[in-house]
Amino acid sequence: MRIETTRTAAPVRLQHACAMYSSSADLVTQATPLVADASRRGEAVVLSVRPESEARLRDAAGSARVVALGPDTPARSSGQTTAARLARELRELTSQAGAVLAVSEHDSALDGIDGRYWTELDAALNVALTDLPVSMFCFYPELPLHSEILDGAIANHPLLFERGRLHVNPEHRAPRDVLAGMPASPPVLLGAPDLDMVFSAWQLHEVRAAVSDLASATAFDVSRSEDVVLAVNEIATNAVEHGAGEARIALWIAGDGLVAEVHDTGEALTEPLPGLRAPHPADPRGRGVWIARQLCDVLHVWRDRSGTHVRMHAAP
Amino acid sequence: MCAVPLSEEQLWEVSADFVADGLDRHERVLYFDDGTAEGVLDRLADDHVAFERPLRTGQLAIVPAEATRAVFHTPLPEARAMMLEHIEGSKAAGYTGFRMTGQMSHGVDRRWPAPFAEYDRELDALVRERGITALCLYDRRRYSDEQIERMRDVHRKELSVPTAYDDGLLRVVRTGPTSARLAGEVDHSNRPAIARLLETTLDDALRSHSAPTDIVLNLASLRFIDVASAVSLVHAAEGFPDTHRLVLSDVRPGVLRVLDRCGAPFAAQLTVHEFDGTTDAGRTGPGPVVGPGRHGGGPGHGNGGTTGNGGTTGNGGGPPWTTDGHGDGYPHLREAR
Repeated sequence: MRIETTRTAAPVRLQHACAMYSSSADLVTQATPLVADASRRGEAVVLSVRPESEARLRDAAGSARVVALGPDTPARSSGQTTAARLARELRELTSQAGAVLAVSEHDSALDGIDGRYWTELDAALNVALTDLPVSMFCFYPELPLHSEILDGAIANHPLLFERGRLHVNPEHRAPRDVLAGMPASPPVLLGAPDLDMVFSAWQLHEVRAAVSDLASATAFDVSRSEDVVLAVNEIATNAVEHGAGEARIALWIAGDGLVAEVHDTGEALTEPLPGLRAPHPADPRGRGVWIARQLCDVLHVWRDRSGTHVRMHAAP
Repeated sequence: MCAVPLSEEQLWEVSADFVADGLDRHERVLYFDDGTAEGVLDRLADDHVAFERPLRTGQLAIVPAEATRAVFHTPLPEARAMMLEHIEGSKAAGYTGFRMTGQMSHGVDRRWPAPFAEYDRELDALVRERGITALCLYDRRRYSDEQIERMRDVHRKELSVPTAYDDGLLRVVRTGPTSARLAGEVDHSNRPAIARLLETTLDDALRSHSAPTDIVLNLASLRFIDVASAVSLVHAAEGFPDTHRLVLSDVRPGVLRVLDRCGAPFAAQLTVHEFDGTTDAGRTGPGPVVGPGRHGGGPGHGNGGTTGNGGTTGNGGGPPWTTDGHGDGYPHLREAR
């Protein structure tokens, strides 16, 4: 897998706006002028909306390049993982096509038990897309099943899109503050792991050997196995570097790949969602988690009173 | 002769050198395996030594682990006869000599001390009478300190390889005034060692007018590098003066991917050469590299910590195991040739 690194700190910024809609037809009515304008400016259009809406908005896009992103089931209710993936796709697209308009529609299938997924997603997008020339319009239903979804949406978006106009959202708060009030949730519990070990900085090679053994025993080829070992190593390194010196790792081998969970009892991370921002070339820190996010299909970080936890899932 | 490797990496390094040396001299080489042959063959591949053909022709033979273990359950006269057969067979097949090495630790597990020493004496007799070459390896993982000391005493020569750094996970050997070879894995636990190595090597290069302006790290045997270490290599190269370059040679694909992701392609003073898997590939290092322990005159940075105290160092006099006359029978790193 090739990974692009950022070369310059671009002066562009994400425009992240929240919009409300009462029905699918309403969404199309509101988004159509946005898409048409973007098309006139020669921008590419990214759509993550229901199929009916997508067809209508494609018409509005005319000759503009349209990229449709399907529902993100593999993210397994990890908003930060979806954000990292979207950032990867948009980074590639903007490097080819310049500015991009993105329109997304709420999908209640991803709500989970309390709709927290959406709050985590939008907070993570603020971090992950910050240096990309992207105008992102997130459409939320006026009456979602969980009121927390709207609370989160209002807190996360610096801009509001109302009656066809953008204006500054006075209630917008920084991702860290939003996540302090509604932290990323733990993922669903798994059964007993295939391997569970406590390790220190001097035992990282044992962690790598364990991952490598499990990965090569399944469908991982050599280079994918090496990449997964690298990803787990970086998370494990972070755990013993910033944590209490010792950390725990649990490994599962599942039908669809390898799952690893690293737990440390260290102090709170300075960043609630590490590894989302592309590291600056001159900055020696922070690159490990970022690369791990690129290499894993899911990388979910959450915190609770016992410490920091990371779950990784990597398919062959 | 014997060697007391500090680590598995060094065990593979010393064994591979010994095997390659024999192949070069057109000797027959017998390797008694007991779990270490794979590492040695991997190292031979890293060193660009063509061993597949010798394996096919029988010039190089790997004795399987069960057979190696069985040697120690064979009565001594029988074992001797078997060895003689091997030696005569090699001569008859037109080889210039016969050498053997491998993993004999099973013998010490079972039959320490008397019988093990007897086997060793018998082998020593063959070395004297028949002019064969045998390398016995006693590492601390498989042998106790007492055993190592005792076996050191009964061997005539102990090989020592200059070691700049060896922590069991990563091994660094200086191969010239501004070059080194890394084997093993670099991670959070030993990252500072690499930084120090680069710093002192660059310092040496800058101080000496005659020293090459390329700092060459051979990474053929580096199997893992973590992100922070890769970043530190890239940053180190970026910090070099304009006149100097950091050259990473024989880089494995997995390590290359990490370097690429850490900005290596954008560092002007960093040159990365991919490992070329073909065994007859030329050496990638620039020009002839001076062998370890031979660049006398210099202050010899990083050459401290030779293995053991009775080590053979320097290049005075032909070692007794040199059976042919070309005087360079000193088993040294493949790098050095």
